[in-house]
Amino acid sequence: MNRKLMAIVPLLIFIFICVFLYQGLFANPREIQTGRIGQTVPTFNLPDLMQDNKRWTDEQLKGDVYLLNVWGTWCPTCLAELDYLTKLREQGIKIIGLYYVQSYDADFDGPFDMQALRDDVSNMLARAGDPYQFNILDLERSLALDLGVSGAPETFLVDKNGTILLHHTGDINPRVWRAKFAPLMQELQP
Amino acid sequence: MRLFLLTLSLFISLAAFAQQDRYQFDSNEQAIRFEELTKELRCPKCQNQNIADSDAVVAKDLRDRVLALVKDGKSKDEVIDYMIDRYGYFVHYDPPVTPATLILWVLPVLIVIIGFGFIVIRQRKASVKQTWSDADEVMLNKLIKQNKRQEQS
Repeated sequence: MNRKLMAIVPLLIFIFICVFLYQGLFANPREIQTGRIGQTVPTFNLPDLMQDNKRWTDEQLKGDVYLLNVWGTWCPTCLAELDYLTKLREQGIKIIGLYYVQSYDADFDGPFDMQALRDDVSNMLARAGDPYQFNILDLERSLALDLGVSGAPETFLVDKNGTILLHHTGDINPRVWRAKFAPLMQELQP
Repeated sequence: MRLFLLTLSLFISLAAFAQQDRYQFDSNEQAIRFEELTKELRCPKCQNQNIADSDAVVAKDLRDRVLALVKDGKSKDEVIDYMIDRYGYFVHYDPPVTPATLILWVLPVLIVIIGFGFIVIRQRKASVKQTWSDADEVMLNKLIKQNKRQEQS
């Protein structure tokens, strides 16, 4: 009896390792959840990307369910998801862009050229589709840091009270939308 | 040659100077705290590098924020909590004991205990003293005799 039991132990260890490694095949190590889930959007006061003298604060965004999409023209994956995000906008989903300036360094890039950035953004949105109600410019990436953003694209789902419900790292495509966002959206906007 | 060495030494000292000069601190204690924190905090973008090592944009942002917080007089734990608030437990190289991570602490201890238990049990089994009575002695002699007879015949 004891001997038979001992013979099973290696098999059990083997099965355990198989299950563990099999799971690893589908895990995404880049998917890092922000610590902000369930909390309200951090307070901020940042300029609009396209308009001078226009500023946005966290208070102004309250009252609507919206997606906060972190993106930049420098990011190829962001370009890839613009088409689908535009389709979502057509379905009545409110998407706000948080423009993530990749690497702006006065020592290397010279003075920041606002007009060049605006032209760049307009060109790209005209070509690939414009899903955004408006864009918030986060030049110092301060709001991005407060949200726990590690790169672009990343998307947050925020409810009417300004509570962050979901954080997605990577692009949004039909599969991700169905699996992660759609069930929650259904609850929020029946 | 002499000039060459002199020039070389000049370069070395300059590099060392530049390294120290990159960040300015009010006190030596703050400099040490900053150094410890940037080594302990993990870069969310290029994983398996700390933020002191990484050249990712987000690592630079985290370094700058750590610098600002340290200069603000925040303690080490306060800065770590600040980062965990934003990036989750992933950002710190010293994960806390939670139900999900408990196995990391318990499993090695468990394996050692089971291993030693196994050894002890085997030892005990092996060291059980055999009893040897007169009846056994008689039985043995009888068997030997029988065996001899079989060999002879």
